Amino acid sequence: MKRQYGITVFLIVTAILFSTFALACGEQKAAQPQQTGPVVIKVGLPTALSGPAAPWGQAGIDYYNAWIDLFNKEGFKIGDKTYNFQLITVDDESTPEGGAAAAKQLIYSDGCKALAGHWTWNYPTVSAVSNAAKVLLFTRTGNEAVPGGVYDPKTQPYTVFANPSHQQYLSDCLALVKAYPNYKRIGILDSNLGKGIGWDYIDQSLDAAGIRYHHEWFPPATVDFTPYITKYAEAGCDIIYSGGDITSPMLVAKQRMEMGYKDWHVGHAGPFVDPAIYLAVCGYEAAQGFLGQYWCNWEFKDTKVNPKYITMCQEVEKMVNDKRGGKSYVYTGWIGWLPSHLLIYSQAMEKAGTVDDPDAIMKAIRGGTFDSTTGKWTMSGAKTYGSPVVFGCPGCICQIQGEKEVYLSESAMAPIP
Amino acid sequence: MKGLMDRLRLVDWRSWVPRIVAAVPVFFIILIPAFTTNEATLSMLILTGIWAIAAMGFSLILRTGQFSLGQAAFMAVGAYASAILTVKVGLPFWPSFILAGVISGLIALLVGLMVLRVGGIYFSIITLSLTEIIRIIAQQWEDVTRGARGLITAPPPTTDLGFFSINFAASSVPYYYFMLILVTLTGLVFWQIGRTRLGGTFFSMAANQILSEHQGVHLMKYRVIAFTLAGIFTGLAGSLYAHYLTVITPLVFGLWQSIQIMLMSIVGGIGSLVAGPIIGAVLLYVLGIYLSRLPVFGIQQLLFGAVVVLVLVFLPKGTGIIDLWPKFWRKVYHEVEEYEIPGEVKPDEE
Amino acid sequence: MPPPGIWIDGLVQSSIYITMAFGMVLVFSILGILNWTHGQYYMLGAIAVYYGVTAMGIPFPFSMILSGVIIAGLGVVVKKALIDRVSGDLYVGALTLALIFFFEGAASMLFGLQDKGLTQVLPGVLEVGAISISYQKLAVVIFTLVVMIAMYLVLNRTKIGLAIRAASQEPNAASLYGIRVDRVSLVVMGIGCALAAWAGCIMAPVYPVNPFIGRIPMIFSLLAIVIGGLGSLTGAIVGGIILGFLNSVIAYYISYYSEVVLFVLVVLILLVRPQGLFGASLK
Repeated sequence: MKRQYGITVFLIVTAILFSTFALACGEQKAAQPQQTGPVVIKVGLPTALSGPAAPWGQAGIDYYNAWIDLFNKEGFKIGDKTYNFQLITVDDESTPEGGAAAAKQLIYSDGCKALAGHWTWNYPTVSAVSNAAKVLLFTRTGNEAVPGGVYDPKTQPYTVFANPSHQQYLSDCLALVKAYPNYKRIGILDSNLGKGIGWDYIDQSLDAAGIRYHHEWFPPATVDFTPYITKYAEAGCDIIYSGGDITSPMLVAKQRMEMGYKDWHVGHAGPFVDPAIYLAVCGYEAAQGFLGQYWCNWEFKDTKVNPKYITMCQEVEKMVNDKRGGKSYVYTGWIGWLPSHLLIYSQAMEKAGTVDDPDAIMKAIRGGTFDSTTGKWTMSGAKTYGSPVVFGCPGCICQIQGEKEVYLSESAMAPIP
Repeated sequence: MKGLMDRLRLVDWRSWVPRIVAAVPVFFIILIPAFTTNEATLSMLILTGIWAIAAMGFSLILRTGQFSLGQAAFMAVGAYASAILTVKVGLPFWPSFILAGVISGLIALLVGLMVLRVGGIYFSIITLSLTEIIRIIAQQWEDVTRGARGLITAPPPTTDLGFFSINFAASSVPYYYFMLILVTLTGLVFWQIGRTRLGGTFFSMAANQILSEHQGVHLMKYRVIAFTLAGIFTGLAGSLYAHYLTVITPLVFGLWQSIQIMLMSIVGGIGSLVAGPIIGAVLLYVLGIYLSRLPVFGIQQLLFGAVVVLVLVFLPKGTGIIDLWPKFWRKVYHEVEEYEIPGEVKPDEE
Repeated sequence: MPPPGIWIDGLVQSSIYITMAFGMVLVFSILGILNWTHGQYYMLGAIAVYYGVTAMGIPFPFSMILSGVIIAGLGVVVKKALIDRVSGDLYVGALTLALIFFFEGAASMLFGLQDKGLTQVLPGVLEVGAISISYQKLAVVIFTLVVMIAMYLVLNRTKIGLAIRAASQEPNAASLYGIRVDRVSLVVMGIGCALAAWAGCIMAPVYPVNPFIGRIPMIFSLLAIVIGGLGSLTGAIVGGIILGFLNSVIAYYISYYSEVVLFVLVVLILLVRPQGLFGASLK
């Protein structure tokens, strides 16, 4: 009886505390006293910190913060005021509900003026929140946000596609074909969650470029790829390039060795989080030659990048490596994402002459030319997307050799009509 | 003045004081938007309310002795029905909303007729499978549901009430009141059922199936009624969900959500049809949201599971948090007892 | 006719489901508990063997045995401390469901969300003509055979097996004969959890290890025992075989819809013949 009484009191007190929290957190954080020094612009990063995409989400955080610290040393100027960025990260769990909640928290509780670095599945809910609040959203296109899909420039005027994932996949395939000109067929692997208008779009581009391919769709959480590997073999594929997560291509790499297809190349359209994971999960032999995206801008051959940004990126690598006691692997997946987005954002604000007017900033972005960590690019896509809000990035592939990733090939991106 | 004092003395304070104390937070709940219009907070409260309705549905079905793991499926049906009706068929919001509840109820009726005659654990496994089947249909039936990309819905239209207009697109406050009204409506309907003969019948079925059958209770009929009612209101909640988030995808309503709904209801206290599930939903959902803001991954799930385990182990069988309320008041009154007859066994002694 | 690779795959899948389903149905038929947490013991077994091999350097077979013993102990503690204090199917069910989240959360916090692998154990591929099967997968099949034979022997030829069978059929009479029914139920729980843990261990080299690998085995072992019949041990084995082969073959032909076929099958079986293939007809 006494125990129950204790629990009663505990639970009632907890309930009261939580309600107080709910109300207290509801109040906007008290306006900070105006500081002397650079004005801080808060940028929100809704990203996957939990769930299957978590490795990619967590991998970049240290690098992003280091890059922003470097950037803030100079900041950017409008008139006589200097501006700095501050990054606030919230887990969006890669789910639509999580995305909406993360976006709402970043915009309304944390006061972010822009959301950037976004790449997870939940574009529709995040953009619903950001566009309603007139907050700029720098994101990838993803499966939903394609022409004819979810994206509509009229209802979502504050979205910028700074990483066009479909054009990216095409560039990657072109780079693969450059590396293996005698390839037979590319096997495309994705979970059936991805099936839809986005992939149809990619298929059309692949057909137009003359690339031979074969699709397989598996139910999410599949671990046994024997049936799919069998079907790829029957279709004559010898390169398996996955669009989705990292577990499925790792398993395909392992299982294709076990089934006797040692000559196939397997990879994913995403950067390597850490080759050690692949070596551990696939096995050393099976992981050799594993393909992935490579954003190492100091090794680009076809795309020219501003040397200032190359130096910054290399310094960030050093900073993070030092912070981790010299044990960090050279991760490059972050380079084409948030830093590019922030460079576009800051340059657009400079052009527009304001940090507070989203319409003016978007006007400066549309069709504008921007210099980023992955090259100089003019926003395009007026015909395809209805508005020139798409930035470009090169397709660059690397493969695991030994315990490291090594540059393989590259294909510069053509402007999107 | 003396007459008033006399009248006050006649009032049964023991039953009124708890009610007044309970009414205070309810009063505050109604006024929350006056204190804060923070979108994140309102969003959390609105979603809590939606899950609470689903949990109430679970409790109603449980009243008839059946343990349904299919509540998430009916939320999905309601959400998709209303999304498809507004987006593809072009109906305005309010008819779609009502129809979503109707469709959800109809499907509950059909499914119930087929499935409720197998009771017990089989029923639970079937409802679990159905939840997954509905999720997979929503994912694969591209033409209608747009698969994993989901459907984009519009907020309810702005209604003009003369001196002010209710604008759903501008903020979450109108959704908050919509949610409150829906929760209250569901609560009232279920509470009334609980108090009437229908509720008594439900309870007798759960308590002793064989005996009630012998007494002429047609088990199947009442099970189906409960299941259908739960389906209707859960479908309405799903529809609100779809129009609040303005996006509905198949990933949101799966077997794990059904399990969470069940846990909310059990933690809250299944003896109560209304207050129990609401408290359970508030505790678990709000707890979940705050825990997910911590940088430690996994603590949310760990504490979620731990809270449920603690409630199940330490509270007597069949009670949940809501049952602590009367116990608390009995303790309070016990302590202000004016006199005790020596040697009398006190009722709360264990 | 699917190629031989698919049939071998079916065999391997069946083996996993058989072990998992057997453990789950043992606990269900003898203790009357549908242990939703069964899948988490699989996951914990895999994580335990991972730490045993990588962090402590204990060779794989010993790590596996140790892991099974530890997880069995955990299961026994859970039963004594938690499950026994809760009565009623609904509440035990809710308890074991809540424990799923608890263990997943704990594993996420301690192990991390990253996939880790044990592929260095038993590397290599056996090639017989046109067919190749990795040694790891071969080990799974052999392991399952060994476990099933062992279970048969224990249940039918040993004293403790006799005690278990007696206690499940007639607990009161059994206790009159001096069988400590409560001790026996702990042993059963321990065996069930050990089976799940060992399944996780033997699979750890084959697939990546992460805190969420328990979910699918739990669902599949539930489906297997439904197909086989909820109270039947033989049913679990048959159900596991059917499910394993069905899964591989369906994935080969209609990969897109393979998920839904299995759930529809289960619903149909439960509607038409709830006792499954081998279960005793219940009310």
